[in-house]
Amino acid sequence: MICSTNNPAARRYMWRFSVTMLLYLVFLVIAVWTFVHRHPTGPLAWLLAFLPALAILGQIAAFGLYLGEEKDEFQVALGVKSMLWGIGGTLAVTVTWGFLENFPQLRHLDLILVYPIFCALSGIAYGLLQLRYR
Amino acid sequence: MKNRLRVLRAEREWSQADLAQRLEVSRQSVNAIETGKFDPSLPLAFKLARLFETTIEAIFTDEHLG
Repeated sequence: MICSTNNPAARRYMWRFSVTMLLYLVFLVIAVWTFVHRHPTGPLAWLLAFLPALAILGQIAAFGLYLGEEKDEFQVALGVKSMLWGIGGTLAVTVTWGFLENFPQLRHLDLILVYPIFCALSGIAYGLLQLRYR
Repeated sequence: MKNRLRVLRAEREWSQADLAQRLEVSRQSVNAIETGKFDPSLPLAFKLARLFETTIEAIFTDEHLG
């Protein structure tokens, strides 16, 4: 969401985002491989299923830390605005899709897609705000 | 909110980047404030006033007062 890396807070955010993204990929591969090849049950299965989500929670926390650490109030405002557009857009898309699912032709929207939808919409909003305030 | 930042900058021959560096914000932030698209917080307004050795009222004008 934050493209500018010319200040310490933005650089820390990019670092934390990259680490959590890498962890997400690693956890996802481990979880999928284990479920396919080892068929775990009980607490281990719960833990494996939760690991990729943990990395996503880390990403959300990283953005929260950025908003707290960023000294440039205008950049904070940009981040908050783009996040609000992302949240609003995600609510609009998912609730509309939910009602449309009453029609049997429409495939079920997997909850796992909510976060990517939020990221995409927040990213688009951030880009448009950058254009407005350039 | 209207402001005289562009004039004050010009008097000192500062670019937006120069002012941004002195305020420790991005050039984009200075541009947004200068063009009236973003109203700064009180702490940043005071920082601007100190930097230009004037008062906040001498920089920013309440549009409702004309």
